Amino acid sequence: MSGETVLRVKDLYKRYGDRIVLKGVSFEIRKAEVKAIMGPSGTGKTTLLKCIDMLVKPDSGRIWLEDLELTDPRIDIGEARKKIGFVFQEFNLFHHLTAIKNVMIGLTKVKKLPKDEARTIAERALLKVHIERELWDKYPAQLSGGQKQRVAIARALAMEPMIMLYDEPTSALDPQLTGEVLEVIKELAEDGMTSLIVTHEVGFASEIADEIMIMMDGKIIERGDPRKVIHNPRREETRRFFSKILKIGDESR
Amino acid sequence: MSFWEEFLSKLSFGTLITLQLLTVTIPLSVILGILIGILRVYGGRIGKTLANLYVYIFRGFPLLVTLMIMFFGLADIGIRLTPYWAAALAIIICSSAYQSEYVKMSILSIDEGQSLAAKSLGMKRSTEIFYIILPQALRVALPGIGNEIIYMILYSSLAYIVGVNEIFSAAISVNSIWFKPTEVFLVTALIYLAMTTMASYGLKKLEHRLWIPGFETRRKS
Ligand SMILES: Nc1ncnc2c1ncn2[C@@H]1O[C@H](COP(=O)(O)OP(=O)(O)OP(=O)(O)O)[C@@H](O)[C@H]1O
Ligand SMILES: [Mg+2]
Repeated sequence: MSGETVLRVKDLYKRYGDRIVLKGVSFEIRKAEVKAIMGPSGTGKTTLLKCIDMLVKPDSGRIWLEDLELTDPRIDIGEARKKIGFVFQEFNLFHHLTAIKNVMIGLTKVKKLPKDEARTIAERALLKVHIERELWDKYPAQLSGGQKQRVAIARALAMEPMIMLYDEPTSALDPQLTGEVLEVIKELAEDGMTSLIVTHEVGFASEIADEIMIMMDGKIIERGDPRKVIHNPRREETRRFFSKILKIGDESR
Repeated sequence: MSFWEEFLSKLSFGTLITLQLLTVTIPLSVILGILIGILRVYGGRIGKTLANLYVYIFRGFPLLVTLMIMFFGLADIGIRLTPYWAAALAIIICSSAYQSEYVKMSILSIDEGQSLAAKSLGMKRSTEIFYIILPQALRVALPGIGNEIIYMILYSSLAYIVGVNEIFSAAISVNSIWFKPTEVFLVTALIYLAMTTMASYGLKKLEHRLWIPGFETRRKS
């Protein structure tokens, strides 16, 4: 796949106290590409995604969204974040707003669209993630985990982002609910949504990703074609990582 | 005039004054409490310091002392307030310091994810605070604010110290003429009880209207 580069991350470093969490991460994503990041807990995957959305400020390194340098301190970071969709592990739906209002609020309060226009866009986004009309006026507490995460995806999607970042979108879900969320992410990817996905779902990653990047101890230690990385990795650490999560996966089935 | 005639006429006048005092102090202290609470979290270095100092001082002074300062202290430096306004000001200042504590705590109780999600949509800080954090935080704070309103009804009686003719001072003056403390203070107590009952009822209604599934807004009492 060759299109224009949507996201470029170059030599990113981040430390918390005396702990260096990101140790020189670099990669690119082109338009409509899907990349998956996998790796053990605590290796900096969430930190990386947060840095890309500037929710956490990297210590050094640069990030571009197309031509816009996100790490340039002079840019309006709110403007940039509008173009990046972020899906959180814990959904982070706004508790005091109904499903549809969750999707609308970015449109009315950030994009300043009129209410009726925002509503139309929100309805379309919700239908796209298979949230039907009868759920639109429910509050987050009245939705299942899978429904919540799909509303959260719709909320990001409605802003018409240039790229979607997913941080373990199904880790907080019961196993029987992961399918509906992964299905939605897959459909969006197939529609050409540029996506960067942190996940532990090996089957899902190998199915939809153009490339898997293995992250360990703040570095991307291996990257490449999913089947190759999963079944025939170059690095011993990668092999050990997959044998461990595949075993855990088997037990939970 | 018989005892009951004089008592009831003075008492109803006093009730009117107390209600007048409360219609000023309750809304103003709630609004001020919310503003100070916001300042204590989002005010930056200067705003936080000033707001914290305000709370430190006026939560540390007994209301009675604050009242004296507003009436006599301010008069000494040339600011003459009527007893009514000195009392109103003291109650507003004292109560808003307490209110701000509930507001601050409730803002801090809203989980980090709400703020991250708001930012990730591109919201400005002010949009995030007013449309995401406060609507949730104020719901959490409502029971505490409600309790504080109930207290305010009760400690409005302290206004009698500086000569406001509210319920309690009416009771004192009638009692000093007729010396019937049982009747006088029993009826007085019942009036306060009626007022707090009404306030509780109103607050329950409000909590009910603002209720959202997943939010615990019941008053713990
Ligand atoms: N705000 C913070 N302050 C201090 N340390 C932090 C902070 N956020 C993350 N860390 C630390 O940075 C390291 C990387 O965290 P991160 O959340 O990026 O890992 P992760 O790869 O997403 O892990 P997981 O798979 O468990 O989600 C961890 O050791 C974590 O404890
Ligand atoms: Mg993580």
